[in-house]
Amino acid sequence: MSDDEPGESPALSRVTELLRDFPNAPTPSELDRGLSKVRTRLSAHREAPSAARKWASLGAVAVLCLILAAIATSWLRLRGPVAQKPIALSRMQGGQLLQGGYLAESGTLGMQLFFDEGSQLALTPGARGRLRLDGTAGARLLLERGSVSLQITPTPEPHWSVESGPFLVTVKGTDFTVGWDPTSELFELTLRRGRVVVSGPVVGDDFVVHPGQKLRVSLPKAETVIVEDRAASVAPPTVSSAGPAADAATVPTPTDENKVSANGGNASPPAAASSSRQRQWRGALASGEWDRIISEAEAGGIETTLEAATSEDLFALADAARYRRRLDMARAALLAQRRRFPSSPRAAEAIFLLGRVSELRPGGRAQALQYYDEYLGRAPGGTYAAEALGRKMTLVNESGSGARSIAEEYLRRFPHGSYAGAARTLLSVEE
Amino acid sequence: MASRVRAPLSLVAAPAPREASDTELALALRAGEPWAVTEVWHRYAAMVLRMAERALGSRSDAEDLAQEVFYRVCARASSLRDPNSLRSFVYSVAIRLLKTALRYRRLRRWLSFHAPETLIDLSECKVDVEGRDLLRRFYVLLDRLSARDRLVFLCRRVESMTVEEIATAMELSESTVKRSLLHSSQQLSRWVKADAALAELAFVHVGRQP
Repeated sequence: MSDDEPGESPALSRVTELLRDFPNAPTPSELDRGLSKVRTRLSAHREAPSAARKWASLGAVAVLCLILAAIATSWLRLRGPVAQKPIALSRMQGGQLLQGGYLAESGTLGMQLFFDEGSQLALTPGARGRLRLDGTAGARLLLERGSVSLQITPTPEPHWSVESGPFLVTVKGTDFTVGWDPTSELFELTLRRGRVVVSGPVVGDDFVVHPGQKLRVSLPKAETVIVEDRAASVAPPTVSSAGPAADAATVPTPTDENKVSANGGNASPPAAASSSRQRQWRGALASGEWDRIISEAEAGGIETTLEAATSEDLFALADAARYRRRLDMARAALLAQRRRFPSSPRAAEAIFLLGRVSELRPGGRAQALQYYDEYLGRAPGGTYAAEALGRKMTLVNESGSGARSIAEEYLRRFPHGSYAGAARTLLSVEE
Repeated sequence: MASRVRAPLSLVAAPAPREASDTELALALRAGEPWAVTEVWHRYAAMVLRMAERALGSRSDAEDLAQEVFYRVCARASSLRDPNSLRSFVYSVAIRLLKTALRYRRLRRWLSFHAPETLIDLSECKVDVEGRDLLRRFYVLLDRLSARDRLVFLCRRVESMTVEEIATAMELSESTVKRSLLHSSQQLSRWVKADAALAELAFVHVGRQP
């Protein structure tokens, strides 16, 4: 590097050094395969008549023009003064719309509302609310009591929103049920499809609910519970056939939650309070927020977290703890992964990483070897197979036992692996 | 009668592919000699593949890109004005395509409602698990750079190309390359420094290389 070039931090230098060395050289078979593809394309290129190429070029230009026209039209429609079609109520069953948008039920089977753009609302029997249709600005349902199922047809404009007690649900084009019990101050939302954003007390601003999740907020307890409800994302409830019992079921008891979790297969049991929010630790891990992940796990209680977290969150916690050299925590997270999600691909990876963690613990080498053997037995072609065999070779060699056979196996299976050099050295020394 | 001067005629054997110089190879490519395609591939494919894999972080993407590079090099060999600069020609086609690929990635990220996770495929790479973690994190930082800054940084710091070579391959002025290099180095140094975890991982990893 010349003197007039910028310097870089030592850490950056180390990473670029690693980057320089990382790709394996292409194998002869990879090169042959690539050359064959290039040859095929070249012969097709030579054989193609020039007229066809001209037509293809003209076609491409025409398609490009059409795309540009479509983009321009969309832009004008979004930005320009072209008026959007307002949401309008096309018909209503089981009730009528009174002055001020009040929804008055005329029977005992609940109300169903159908809108021009295809959206549908179904209020359970006894549910009360108001509907405000505000031209092109959108539609807003004020739910005073009970629950309502919404199937909203997604459109860029106008927007739908639901006010339910002190909560505001912003709808992004979706299928969900929302309920509010003013007596017990209990809010509940089950999302089957799409995405909604909830704002209100306890949950804060812009709490995103994902498909298959049930959000329950109890104001008196200041408690938020998220339940993974995979069944809900498949089968939307038919409100029209629901009686009072169905209405009661929208406010789940602890027993209901357990049932939901059991139905959800791999779904985690609900964790209490703020720790039960979907953690999304993979994203935090990618952003380097390792301390945040660890502190959140500690704040929610390690035992509780290990029992409640999803497979991905457990893996992220294990990674964060490994990077921070919190070996006990990493080990606990990996063991929980293996115990709670035994058939997932992550479970096999957890076994390998348990080996890595064991290596770093005092006197843990023998145990590490067991983990590597277990991993190699379970996933002989797995992501970490080369690494596991390489680590095994190193540990066996360091213990003074003969690692020759392992080195030979390594070179046979992974001739370009990261331990190939070490394996060759080991074999040449033994000779 | 005016005497006619005849150029001496002699039969010259074509050079064996492996012995052909870059100039001979370029001329053979122009002439559409079948052996030249094979030879140019064997001579430069490994270089292009590794450069593309380092730049994109994915072996499969690198393979696709390398095939496109050599298809274009062979199909457009007639546009190679100086047969002595075959190597630079291959580099410049590769870098132009890499730039397009990186720009397309950024555009796709921008158009997507949910920012997609950076798809870095390091399953085939030879570094250990901590090294892979480190590289994944570094690719996230590289994704924050513009396609041009990223390529300038990688060409200079990783591929060890000279500023002049980069300027030629990327069709930029040397001062622009220097500015871009300064900017990308400063940005990356700052981001790496701000990411104490990555810096620590880099330190730990270098101390543990097998």
